[in-house]
Amino acid sequence: MLDVIGAKYKQRRTALKAGRLNAFTSCFFSVLFLLLSCGMAFGTNAVSDTENCLLCHRYPSIGRYDESGTKRVFYVNDKKFAASIHGKLKCKNCHVSLDQIPHTDVKKVDCATKCHIKEPSTNQEFSHINMIQKFEASVHGSGTAQKPKPFPEDLPTCKYCHANRMYSPLEGMWGNSTALSNETLTRCIGCHTKESWAENFYAHFTHRMRRRRTQAEVVKLCTSCHEDGHKMARHGLESIETYKDTFHWNLVRYGVKNAPDCISCHVPVGYSTHDLRPRTDPVSPLYIFNRIKTCSNQGGLQVCHPGATAEFATGRVHAYGTKAQMMSGNKISNFDNKEMASVLKRAEADTSEAEVFHYKVLQLIKLFYKILIGGTVLFMGFHQWLDFLRTKRRQKQSKE
Amino acid sequence: MGTEESVLSTAGIPSVDDDAGHRYFVRLNYSERVQHTVFAVCFIVLVITGFMLKIPDSIVKSFGTAGEIVFSYRSILHRTAGTIMILVGVYHFYYLIFKRAGRRWLFDMLPRLKDLMDMRDNFLYYINLKEEPPEFDRFCYKHKIEYGALIAGTTIVSATGLILWSQYRWSKFIVDIATLVHGMEAILACLAIMIWHLYEIHFRPHKSPLDNTWLTGVISEEEMKEEYALQYKKIMNDPELQKIYIKK
Repeated sequence: MLDVIGAKYKQRRTALKAGRLNAFTSCFFSVLFLLLSCGMAFGTNAVSDTENCLLCHRYPSIGRYDESGTKRVFYVNDKKFAASIHGKLKCKNCHVSLDQIPHTDVKKVDCATKCHIKEPSTNQEFSHINMIQKFEASVHGSGTAQKPKPFPEDLPTCKYCHANRMYSPLEGMWGNSTALSNETLTRCIGCHTKESWAENFYAHFTHRMRRRRTQAEVVKLCTSCHEDGHKMARHGLESIETYKDTFHWNLVRYGVKNAPDCISCHVPVGYSTHDLRPRTDPVSPLYIFNRIKTCSNQGGLQVCHPGATAEFATGRVHAYGTKAQMMSGNKISNFDNKEMASVLKRAEADTSEAEVFHYKVLQLIKLFYKILIGGTVLFMGFHQWLDFLRTKRRQKQSKE
Repeated sequence: MGTEESVLSTAGIPSVDDDAGHRYFVRLNYSERVQHTVFAVCFIVLVITGFMLKIPDSIVKSFGTAGEIVFSYRSILHRTAGTIMILVGVYHFYYLIFKRAGRRWLFDMLPRLKDLMDMRDNFLYYINLKEEPPEFDRFCYKHKIEYGALIAGTTIVSATGLILWSQYRWSKFIVDIATLVHGMEAILACLAIMIWHLYEIHFRPHKSPLDNTWLTGVISEEEMKEEYALQYKKIMNDPELQKIYIKK
């Protein structure tokens, strides 16, 4: 009997204990939730987070592994975000939908979305649509509905080149950047009394007065695709590895200011990176009749080859690549048949006979020098080796 | 410009008694030594600054932010050294034609049938089929080959270098050829200098560690007999040549 009472008592105590714990847990999380709901209790005022996204996204560990096993981090550093190009936007301006929690209604960010900011020159809602339209019509676009480009996964998207970069001080122009911004901002704030607005406007303006990437970074970005022979071959293109044989690349790799990287010639002053056209298009800076201007004086700060003649300017900088090699009968061993056919088809259409002839002549000169150098070194080495042995022997004889 | 007579005093070699058989024989006069030294310095500068365009990216990265300054000095030095080398070359042609010593140099340097025979005999001597090497005149076939290569090489690198310097005036094809030839010729010249010339002055057993004729301009009588036996005989039989080539 006592045993039964004892067991009942034990059961009751355990139940009571569990109840207390449950009550404690609920209280703790309620308080935590209240504190979190207050929003700014732990944080700073860096972003006006009216949508309260930072309630969760302020935690650095927030994230998950997706179906492919890739780690996705959903953390937002509000201070960094506030100092970035898109720092004045609300999250939902770009991340549309997301009305459910947890977010089961995620849509990919579309840079053509109107983000409810008024564009001051037209007073209309801002969107990147005009850039996207240009981009879609360019060599990097996905083609038309009637004729979509093959292997769309190879084509760059906005985010391939653009991260949401942070504004950084203007450097390299008119001396010390801090002194420059202090002086300029003082004048701005005189009329535009809200300092944060003036600073942001100044950053927005000066950000566009300097290069976003160094020359080496530009080459790295472009060659991340354009040096991949197989990826290029799928689209009938050749890899641009012969750029790295040029004097231009030497200037870039030594970090010379204003060294000619990819965009120096492909997107000179007056052209847009988003509007890259094939060199056969009359609006391309590499169109045969636009070349002298591109090489000599683009109308900007940089003047590269001021006296460039037509003969000089009409030559290809990174010539003699895969196409010229194929057209002159060389086999590209690491390509499969499909890739070979794809490149050859384009090569036949757009590789000039002159380039193939020039390639052959240069190959002959190279061969001549290889034989000459090899022969000379062998003859000289053999001669001097014999001389050394004989002189040693003669010295030995004379000693004896 | 100094003459042969000033060689000994400039080289700081004391005069020795004629009877003791310690005569010195002139190989390079003052002008030739200056030409050689300036040319050699230019050559070294050109090789270093030129091959800086061909070194791997890892070395270039090690320059860091100084890369731009390094590159600008590289460019200036390469063009300066190139210009001086061309000027030395032009002066050398002037020297060959308008100076008596230069004309003698040119005459002695002209290739002859004897050079082919000498080459054959020297190879036979090397492989022990002959006891003695052939008797060489002032310039043997080795010197003539090297001198010929030097003239041809300098002309080619100078011409292609000038094309590259004024590249925007030429068609891209010409610039491409000039780039290729300039680089290949540089490789050839470096290897030839390393194997042929540096062996002659550094590694030949009796010259090691350094043949200092490029500074003193003279060689000893023993060496003269050994290396240039024919010229030695000619000099000893001709009082006029003795005036030019013998320094006591």
